[in-house]
Amino acid sequence: MDKVKVSDKLLLSVEKPARYTGGELNSIVKETARLRFALCFPDVYEIGMSHLGSRILYEVINSREEYACERCFAPWPDMEKVMRENNVPMFTLETRTPLAECDIVGFSLLYEMCYTNILTMLDLAHIHKRSADRGENEPIIVAGGGCACNPEPIADFMDAIMIGDGEDMIMEVCDAVLAAKEAGLSRRDTLKKLAAIRGVYVPAFYEEKRGDNGEYMGVDKTEPSAPDKVERRILMDLDRAQYIKKPIVPYIPIVHDRIALELFRGCTKGCRFCQAGFIYRPIRERKMETVLKAADELIGCTGYDEVSLFSLSSGDYSHIHELVPQIIDRFSSEHVSVSLPSLRIDSFLKEDLERMQSVRKAGLTFAPEAGTQRLRDAINKGVSEDDLLRAVGDAFSSGWNGVKLYFMIGLPTETEEDILGIAELARKVSALFYSMPKEKRGKGLRLSVSASSFVPKPFTPFQWEPQDRKETLIEKQKLLKSALKGIRGVEFSYHEPDISVLEAVFARGDRKLADALERAWELGARFDSWDEHFKLDAWNAAFEQTGVDPDAYAHRRREKDEALPWDHIDSVVTKEYLVRESERAYHAEVTKDCRLGCNGCFGEKYATYCKIN
Amino acid sequence: MRLIARLTKLEPVRFVSHLDILRLLQRAFRRAGVPLSYSQGFNPHPLLSFATALSTGYTSGAEWIDVKLDKDMDTDDFLSSVNAALPVGFEFKEAYAVEDRLPSLTALLESATYRVTFSADTNADELKKDIAALLSGEIIVEKRTKGGLKNVDIRPQVIEADVAEEAGHAVLTVKGVLNTSGSLNIELLMGALARQSGKNYDYSVHRVNVEFIGGRSTPV
Repeated sequence: MDKVKVSDKLLLSVEKPARYTGGELNSIVKETARLRFALCFPDVYEIGMSHLGSRILYEVINSREEYACERCFAPWPDMEKVMRENNVPMFTLETRTPLAECDIVGFSLLYEMCYTNILTMLDLAHIHKRSADRGENEPIIVAGGGCACNPEPIADFMDAIMIGDGEDMIMEVCDAVLAAKEAGLSRRDTLKKLAAIRGVYVPAFYEEKRGDNGEYMGVDKTEPSAPDKVERRILMDLDRAQYIKKPIVPYIPIVHDRIALELFRGCTKGCRFCQAGFIYRPIRERKMETVLKAADELIGCTGYDEVSLFSLSSGDYSHIHELVPQIIDRFSSEHVSVSLPSLRIDSFLKEDLERMQSVRKAGLTFAPEAGTQRLRDAINKGVSEDDLLRAVGDAFSSGWNGVKLYFMIGLPTETEEDILGIAELARKVSALFYSMPKEKRGKGLRLSVSASSFVPKPFTPFQWEPQDRKETLIEKQKLLKSALKGIRGVEFSYHEPDISVLEAVFARGDRKLADALERAWELGARFDSWDEHFKLDAWNAAFEQTGVDPDAYAHRRREKDEALPWDHIDSVVTKEYLVRESERAYHAEVTKDCRLGCNGCFGEKYATYCKIN
Repeated sequence: MRLIARLTKLEPVRFVSHLDILRLLQRAFRRAGVPLSYSQGFNPHPLLSFATALSTGYTSGAEWIDVKLDKDMDTDDFLSSVNAALPVGFEFKEAYAVEDRLPSLTALLESATYRVTFSADTNADELKKDIAALLSGEIIVEKRTKGGLKNVDIRPQVIEADVAEEAGHAVLTVKGVLNTSGSLNIELLMGALARQSGKNYDYSVHRVNVEFIGGRSTPV
């Protein structure tokens, strides 16, 4: 195997060469291995290295001595250009192995807008983009991650897709591929072995059915041994092993440049727009001792000065009020600080805040998501205005003067009143700050109000909802912007609506999108989640040339009895439950946190999967 | 206590930038249990600084750091514990406890010596001629200053320069001024060489040493 040669001159000609050079502390280099797995993240290094799941899989695969797991990130456009000019194939960071010579190439799918980067990486690797075109000697191309729950838009590009928690599944995939390779199995027979692994979806074994008008009618199996429905894999015991033992410490600053301590997986809140809140059920907490032990070891082997308590809603961790003080007391003399990336308004205490600020003041973020109580009830965001004002007031009197409020516009059942309610809430927060005596609060308020656009996602109660059209989203943004005018300390930001619409297209897409995706890529679409790279023209042309109507994906209301492209994926939460929740949304009925009693989301079949009650 | 130490930066960490090195040293100190001191105030920052910065892409045999520690530490213990915690490519070679009244290392600097190694296809004799021609008069380069781009003569900043052939490579050894009033920038010098000779030289740069006041190789 020849290593890819990358000259110093080439590296010096691109921005941040350390994105491509590897060699970081705790990275694992294996010159020889029976199986080489290229763990690819289809975005830039700083984003990919911030992804906890990829870090877990890196250590899990490498824990097997004869398996080498090596990283690969999407080259920034400047690097893609020089790689093409100098015929440098896509390579892994650890041993500069060409991707085409790895046994498995796996992509982490965290958001829809990274799909074009997958094509860039396959293309630079000289690997056929479509599964159907790949030859016997090409690597097995796999994918996994949250966005894989509706795998259909990228199904044609993947040989196998892992649905659910990857810790155990990825080892089974590696074992199967190695066994197949050593037994000299054909590609198709290898895929059959993979399809037999629980949680693994092999798209080639299913075919879309279309009605007379081209409407989606579900799938037919083309391989009898493949399962009718692919059941999401769930790792039940998070205390069984400490998956991250020696995390890589990057040289260049990354987005989440700290130790992430996972507190739990899943979420009990059931916010109806939130895909993560449904596709990671049931809730599985780690013991406090496991978390504290990990903190000790990880600070010791990385030297990081910040730990972040990571989960979908860290304030809801059963032991949060014991854990935060313990970590702070343990590490404050070493100048290590603690941050909670996702705070829930109703669940944290003033004492926690005061402790957190004893080391360093990080920003505080709250996500009321909607401007009125009615809409917050409709989306099941069980937070009241009083909760918010109390929490923000506590933060202000503890010395904070920077607060971020996250909202969404375009939510189902939203009216003008709900939009204006966002500004009203911001006005109250601002007034609260300035009503405090000057000596009891910080100097100037920095209240950042951010409004993203609602994107309906599979496996949520809102999966049938139409998304607002671009024009409507823009009108709503304007309305909010003018309503926020004149409120002291407010900075308003919002998302590019074209990107949100494209996200909605792919979130609920089917296999017809593959052609549009590839065409957009050919026309130069790259890094679509980055405003500065997003090429609307390329996408419009691609949809037109491939005969795809994006509006039908983003803005059409689905019928409840309609076949959905992700129906052959079993995400464990039942469709009946989602229907029930969507009806409750229309009556603004709140569904209680499942810590307070089971709501029956798994139905009878999977009832035993959840241990919470 | 105040401690100064000489760090080497070699392959494979050539592309780690100056700011990144500062951050990785803080982390290495924490891993090694070296009690780095922090400033007081709202946003405490570590009391750790370099005598001078190094360009991304350069290797070096002499990056001097100046740190304050909360507790006294034996310099040999410092070297062994920090070196064990550093990523491959970084190593401290010597360390000294110094008094607080020693001026900053930056203020003590005088010059630096670089080795510029050219690609194997570079003819050493031609290079020798090109360098001699370059050094024979003023070397006017465009320099970015606060007031915009400015033409400056960097010839006075070149103290010595010599071309030799080593192991099949042409090597330029150049000693340049390095102090608070102005320093020789190797990239500007190489840019001038390319312009004047019309050749697109391919090279890599290693800082061999820095010299402190009186030409000494250590500040103490």
